[in-house]
Amino acid sequence: MNERKNAANEPPRARKSLKATAVVSSYQKEWFTGLRARVEAGEDFAYLNADVPMEILRAMDIPFVVNQWWAAICSAKRMAPKYYGLLKEAGYRDDLCSYCATALAESLDPDDKLSGPWGGLPNPTIAITRLTCDCQSKIFELFAANHGAELYVMENTVPRSTPSKWWELAPDRWEDLYDKDRLDSAVEDLRELIAFLETKTGKKFDMKKFIEVMELVNEQEYWYKKTRDLIAETRPAPVTVVDTINAVMPAQWQRGTRWAADHAGSLYEEIKALADEGRFAVPNEKHRLMWLGRGIWHDLAFYQRFEEKYGAVFVWSMYLAMGADAYIRNNVQSDPLRALASRYIGMEDFLHMPPWNSEWFLSEARRNHIDGVVYMVPENCMQAVEGSYFIKKIMEDAGIPVLIFKADPVDAREWNRETMTGLVEDFIETRIIMGGNK
Amino acid sequence: MSIRKCAENNTAFRRLNDVYRNREKELLIFRENGGKVVGEIGCDVPDELVIAAGMLPVRIYADRESSLEEADKYLELSFDPVIKAQFEKLVNGSYNDLIDFLAVSNSTDVIIRTYLYLREIKRIEPDKLLPPVEFIDWLFTRKPMYKTQNEKTVKRFWETLEEWSGRKITQEDFIAAAEICNKDRAALRRISELRRAHKPRITGSEALVIIGSAFFMHRSEHAELVSQLADDAKSWPEAEGVRLFLTGSAQESAELYTLIEKSGAVVVGEDHDWGDRFSSRDCNLSYPPLQSIVDCYMLRDFSSKKALVSERVKTLDEAVDASGARGVIFYINAYEEAASWDYPSEKKSLESRGILTKAFVKMSYPVSANVGLEDKIREFTKALGGV
Repeated sequence: MNERKNAANEPPRARKSLKATAVVSSYQKEWFTGLRARVEAGEDFAYLNADVPMEILRAMDIPFVVNQWWAAICSAKRMAPKYYGLLKEAGYRDDLCSYCATALAESLDPDDKLSGPWGGLPNPTIAITRLTCDCQSKIFELFAANHGAELYVMENTVPRSTPSKWWELAPDRWEDLYDKDRLDSAVEDLRELIAFLETKTGKKFDMKKFIEVMELVNEQEYWYKKTRDLIAETRPAPVTVVDTINAVMPAQWQRGTRWAADHAGSLYEEIKALADEGRFAVPNEKHRLMWLGRGIWHDLAFYQRFEEKYGAVFVWSMYLAMGADAYIRNNVQSDPLRALASRYIGMEDFLHMPPWNSEWFLSEARRNHIDGVVYMVPENCMQAVEGSYFIKKIMEDAGIPVLIFKADPVDAREWNRETMTGLVEDFIETRIIMGGNK
Repeated sequence: MSIRKCAENNTAFRRLNDVYRNREKELLIFRENGGKVVGEIGCDVPDELVIAAGMLPVRIYADRESSLEEADKYLELSFDPVIKAQFEKLVNGSYNDLIDFLAVSNSTDVIIRTYLYLREIKRIEPDKLLPPVEFIDWLFTRKPMYKTQNEKTVKRFWETLEEWSGRKITQEDFIAAAEICNKDRAALRRISELRRAHKPRITGSEALVIIGSAFFMHRSEHAELVSQLADDAKSWPEAEGVRLFLTGSAQESAELYTLIEKSGAVVVGEDHDWGDRFSSRDCNLSYPPLQSIVDCYMLRDFSSKKALVSERVKTLDEAVDASGARGVIFYINAYEEAASWDYPSEKKSLESRGILTKAFVKMSYPVSANVGLEDKIREFTKALGGV
């Protein structure tokens, strides 16, 4: 684990078999080129943390990039070692908050426009984050200062009540999911955000356009739900997480557009065709694995290392499943801003707070016939501290073994794929195949 | 006679020191007399309300000697060591006979996690004897709309305390309690002035005892003792040494201060929650009670956990200037990351004005676990012209 990897030892690229994955990849590049042109023409451009209600900006036609998506791009382009070196040179620690601080580190790169991913990040004029951890606003403030952008922060609240099976309540009974005052407060926050954006950009918020965006999000996530269900029901699985993560994660940040909804539909149709034709991702599938945590963006091929030897296939990650369960809000027209509030404040609860996350993970494990869970917990991110004890307990009490290991989703410097492969192989052999105790 | 000797001979200080070193003593007496004790995690639980409810607020603190068996079971690696040790005591039953209720404020992320985990343990492992818990979810961003929401949060805590204590908290109860707390804070600010004076009359390690004892005794008695002490200490000898300011992790004991003082420095101020920050703002009693509490806790000096870098730079600059310190020590425990993001900007600002800084990050707990720390502190003190 401590052995630093050099360039000659870079991991192989993951095999991606879906057309939808290739499509999203080329679309993102094209979209990014267009975004750059808009910024260069003088338009405001926002940089957002992933939990910011981006639907507002979509409805106002303010171009934006999402922090975690961009960090994943930087990591996939293997820029992280350079960037964290720049952080250190500037006096910051290089072992903190890697997922959230990648873009801050990039902003210190004088050569970004020459050597940065896709020509580097254009200069944002707005940086928006939520206070979902102590470090977030600090990182965004530093990032904003380096770009000359205006910082805007949104508060975060903690649920007092935790109704069970949130994923059943979320689409239609979203009002029942939360303490009333939490929702009230989030709606106020949205109104403030709109006022800020209108003042800053001169653009006007149009409720009709916003409802259209919300409906498009519902359409997109509906397809994800069907896709999730299809993969869950189909054995062997038609695709693995390498395909679904790469197809869904970038498209999720395009949500609220016609393109993203159509892409989600085409993703489903493509996977359905594979299933109907009996073309499976790993024909000798024997064990179905669930991946908990963020994607390993610097080594996506890692997920495929256990297929040939063990028939062990990663079929589940949160990226598709969150789309399926966390986003849909029916009856938007009854109160569009409240519907959005009920989406964005829940993200932190659903993913990072027991019992909401643990119960959902178990439900998903059962639905997807999971044989074992591999759970990556980063050491340097408090936001990803989400009750691993409770998650492991609920899974293992239900007879599903869990391997927890420490790794970083974007920083490859401490990643030793042979050691990590050995860990997972041992887990498959002793806990899944032999059914050994923890 | 040294300041230490003066303190040891001072009746008020001896009493405060006894409470500080025997932190369960007062609460046990209080409980024996039928009183109810509210344990607190986080520095933003409004003590005024607990006192108004007729209960005794006490801080949950870490036991440096304790094993971390339970904490290691439930908590991930990235919990800072002090919170971990506090959590251990709550879950291993150490507090079972000491507190009746637990109030948790969202003063930092890790405390929010602590609350969520305790809540979940109560739900799925009811055999663990945990007290009833209330969470106080402040919104620290300084916008008018958040003040209004914070008032609702405080109102909920008010109602919970009424339920816990079995009595109504009247406006008069609140005013009486807030007056006691204001008086205590005013007395503590007099102590701060004595530390910051051109000729300091109280050292940092004594000040920590004076401040920290407030967390374990009747606040009215504390206020009287501190007020008396502030009068007495005016005639104490001058503390000699390089003037240093401490920022970063809260210090629940005087161990680090003693180490700094041994190096030939005097800690003339700090901005952590077991130090001067505790008394930085009063309840404004010309406001209605809820507004008064929100004003006090929401608008205190910015903590390193819940503020922007620029806010922290300004707050630290002002505090250091007020203290007349020539150097600043940043002392940050392992996994207590937020302050690390502030540090480069704070350092730049301080050093641009000729104030030297020294950072100690990823520190182990307790202080004595850090090999070579004493020598490094001595080097820094020496660089500042100390002995």
